[in-house]
Amino acid sequence: MSKSFAGKVAVIQFPGVNCEYETVAAARSVGLEAELFRWNLDPGLLEESLAVVLPGGFSYQDRIRAGVVAAKDHIMDKLSQLASTGRPLLGICNGAQVLVESGFIPGLHWERVDLALAPNVMADREGYYCNWVHLRNERSPCAWTSSFREEEVIPVPIAHAEGRFVTDDTGMLEQIKKNGQIALRYCTSSGLVDPAFPVNPNGSMENIAGVCNREGNVLALMPHPERATWLRQVPEDLEGEWGRKRKAAAGRNDRMEDEGPGRRFFASLLSGKGAALPGKGSAGGISLLAEKEGRE
Amino acid sequence: MLKGTIPIADKTDAEVQDTLRGNGLNLTVEEARKVAGLLGRDPTIVELTIFNTMWSEHCSYKSSRKILRDLLPTQAPNVVMGPGEDAGIIRFAPDGEGDHYCVVIAHESHNHPSQVLPVEGAATGIGGIVRDVYCMGADVIGVLDPLRFGDPAGENAAQTLAIARGVVEGIAQYGNALGVPNLGGDILFDRGYDENCLVNVVALGLVKESRILRSRVPREAGEKKYRIILVGKPTDDSGFGGAAFASEDLAGEEEANRGAVQVPDPFLKRVLSVANRQVLDLAEERGFSIGFKDLGAGGIACVTSEMADAGGFGVKIDLDRVNVAAGSYPPAVISCSETQERYALAVPEEFVGEVLKVYNEDFELPHLYHGAGAFVIGEVTGDQDYRIESGGEVVCQAPVKVITTGIAYDRSRKPRRVLHQEPVWQEGRSLRDDFLRVLASPNIASKNHVFRHYDSEVQGRAVLRPGEADAGVVAPLPGEKVGLAVAVDGNPFYGMVDPYSGGALAVCEAARNVAAVGAVPATITDCLNYGNPEVEEVFWEFTEGVRGIGDACQGIGLISEEGHPLPVVSGNVSFYNQGESGKAIPPSPIIACVGVVEDYSRCRSIQFKEEGNIIYYIGDTEGALGGSEYYRVIYKTLGADIPEVDFIRERNQIKTVIEMHRLGWINSCHDTGQGGLLTALAEMALGGNGQGKIGLTLDMDEFPGNSPPVEKILFSESGGFVIELSPGREREVLALCARNRVKLYKLGSLTPYPRLEIMSGGKRLAVWELDELRLVFMTGCLDIFGLRKGA
Repeated sequence: MSKSFAGKVAVIQFPGVNCEYETVAAARSVGLEAELFRWNLDPGLLEESLAVVLPGGFSYQDRIRAGVVAAKDHIMDKLSQLASTGRPLLGICNGAQVLVESGFIPGLHWERVDLALAPNVMADREGYYCNWVHLRNERSPCAWTSSFREEEVIPVPIAHAEGRFVTDDTGMLEQIKKNGQIALRYCTSSGLVDPAFPVNPNGSMENIAGVCNREGNVLALMPHPERATWLRQVPEDLEGEWGRKRKAAAGRNDRMEDEGPGRRFFASLLSGKGAALPGKGSAGGISLLAEKEGRE
Repeated sequence: MLKGTIPIADKTDAEVQDTLRGNGLNLTVEEARKVAGLLGRDPTIVELTIFNTMWSEHCSYKSSRKILRDLLPTQAPNVVMGPGEDAGIIRFAPDGEGDHYCVVIAHESHNHPSQVLPVEGAATGIGGIVRDVYCMGADVIGVLDPLRFGDPAGENAAQTLAIARGVVEGIAQYGNALGVPNLGGDILFDRGYDENCLVNVVALGLVKESRILRSRVPREAGEKKYRIILVGKPTDDSGFGGAAFASEDLAGEEEANRGAVQVPDPFLKRVLSVANRQVLDLAEERGFSIGFKDLGAGGIACVTSEMADAGGFGVKIDLDRVNVAAGSYPPAVISCSETQERYALAVPEEFVGEVLKVYNEDFELPHLYHGAGAFVIGEVTGDQDYRIESGGEVVCQAPVKVITTGIAYDRSRKPRRVLHQEPVWQEGRSLRDDFLRVLASPNIASKNHVFRHYDSEVQGRAVLRPGEADAGVVAPLPGEKVGLAVAVDGNPFYGMVDPYSGGALAVCEAARNVAAVGAVPATITDCLNYGNPEVEEVFWEFTEGVRGIGDACQGIGLISEEGHPLPVVSGNVSFYNQGESGKAIPPSPIIACVGVVEDYSRCRSIQFKEEGNIIYYIGDTEGALGGSEYYRVIYKTLGADIPEVDFIRERNQIKTVIEMHRLGWINSCHDTGQGGLLTALAEMALGGNGQGKIGLTLDMDEFPGNSPPVEKILFSESGGFVIELSPGREREVLALCARNRVKLYKLGSLTPYPRLEIMSGGKRLAVWELDELRLVFMTGCLDIFGLRKGA
């Protein structure tokens, strides 16, 4: 009774991930078809998929190290084949950790682990940190950011304990910079890349929030665009343009389902030109989705 | 043949006592004899262990049940399920197809486990409460944690800090991994909690009314064969005796009690939750009635006997079929251990295969966790017997009704006479310095540092996050206008002076919190944390607190449907909160209030929005400072004159604020709780994340001429609201307030200058730069929760 994933965004449900439902909803918000893909289904079903997303959470309980067990899962062989032939692949938070641990990112030497997502380094605190941050869209070949303007400031939440992009290979770092693989950097609400906490919320080198492969079809992204897909999700106290927009929409429920700042990560799959598509309205919510799936 | 009975009937009290203690049981001798009487014979060790749990204070409410039943209103038109099962349920919105969306709410304490093992204790607190909500068939959409710790600078500071940090870490570890957002909570410190912290936890769930599951064997079991399936973590001896442990004093045997604390596993819980959802949907699709219940206190025996009893059937359990962790455990342990992350299902025989497949094959539980999985461990029987077998022998057999027989005590009570006095008023104090001290107090200072350690964003439903407003707000049904607001409250300092007011004001404050975002209070839950109920003064405090809660629920009422009380749909009683010294904690009823708002887009944060807007105060100017943070910090006393309990005034104020929200007038709103009016204004200027830049000039001349000293107005914690309105609404606002008979004071207007300024008679009484307030407010708790390296 396997579902077909042809033409759909497949959201991989490793055991322990916990953002899979809202990630499906976010992909659907731009009109894409999206479905959950349980990790132990036949990987061959992904062959005709439009794109694959590894959502956030704690795959395999972060055993050994975040992302490392999922990176060894047999499904990754299929993802490697798809990604190396241009299929769009996005890893969000724990998904980004999986992509780094599997050597897809930065991918200069495919499947060689060249980067790490190390424990956050923050002023006055350590461990897990959840907050809204701002990202600056850098010039890059990334397929997942193609509908943002260059240097556009994108507010999204982060929520992680190990999100600090690091490497001791300075030559490699220079190379990925040169290739334009640093797709997104943490910045202030006005777009200034300040290395200090909390602008850089985890101490990442170069304020890296997202790294793509050289070709641009694979993106490892620590922040959560699926939590910033609707305007209602934006805090009204947030500094900058999006906070003002949310504040101005107070009392106007018809605006709440409008586009949020993170929606265009998914819209980029549809259009490289930057025009955000009108949302289909939200399909969101665990119970609603679950019910829907049950009925189908 | 019944195996291993324990002689009771023909033994002396001393011998019975020795037997009980020798087996690690907390039952009293009289209770053991009562068990033998009910059974009509000597009990087996398994039976005694079951009763030990079922008759613990934690499970039986043996001291509290009568008081709760007599004093708390539990019925109202919106109530779907009141107290009795794992969680309460209210309707909050029609689904347009004749069904209703419901909110499920459960509220528990995990105090003793958190005192001895803070990380695990707090984590399993979340683990337990979310199971209570999941097992109603709901999805969990948020948790909140009301926490009470000792004095961080007191005699027990080292332990207090370790507990506070550990508890926050435990909450973060479990909730973040499970994927349930944190919606709020509060944290207070007092030396009264030096030996016994309070870790309460509230969980909210979402379910359609037609999909609510009951924790019972379904009626259909009378027509066809039903099996009992146990799913989850392999049973071990962790948490054995946990309910009993929660029901005795913490008497310095912390080391010995650690085994009674359960071991949390949010990973397994997450996988189970996803798999459960599939099983429940599959049952719905196939049209099978099933029973579903989480395993909590008392483990397999308590849960399956309660399911059988509720359905009117018998059950036979075979312990040999229970998946156990490595090692061998005696039947009593397998029957009653409180191993986490387990559920029991009663499903028809023909559905068993599909259920096992979902858990064991689709979600590969046995591969994901050694020994985990779903197994048939028993069957529903047509007789009324509850029977457990082990190794081919019967280790427990009795009518279900006997197993689930309750027990009740009439505890006596006696008022605690403590003389509270107002301090001698000190003229000429520096308002400027005093306010900075109040703002820096750990009870007032921002908890942002803690909230940022929790995932507030997962599930994508957040509208107002912890710290951004008085209540957490979610949009539970994306695409729909309706919102849910939730807040917790319980100020122990009123209860110390007067336990009745402590209960009543906790309800008022929690209701005010949800009204501050524009939501209509729809239900409350209560977690009643007190000392040893066998102590007459403690039981008096408890009874007074419950009376206060009941009166407040009646007095405030259900604003959405006049003539009905604000219903209490769920709750928990936690007694024996006292440490080695034998001193009970302050009376600590903690209330969670859920409110419903018809349009969540009108819910506003507390942060000031725009220069030129006018700030009003809805409240009184009686200036009662008893129990206030001002008295505690500046005068080092509680005082005596706590805020007056006036339900009519509360109700009128709450109604007024909700109405203003509905009219779309409100730009920001904050209730005046701890720290009083001045603290509320500073919090609004700074905002939940401490980033505010808009200032306020406050004119004290707006208050009547015969008002008390300014400090009394500025620091009194008597309830009220501060609201920010656009200019030009004065006449309408005054008319509305007059109609609702509430007092309104215009405090001043918002300025482009980042400072808070207080004027009186044309003179400046005090001024603070926002940056200076920011530093004090945002860092006041940093040394406590400094989750920094080496700390």
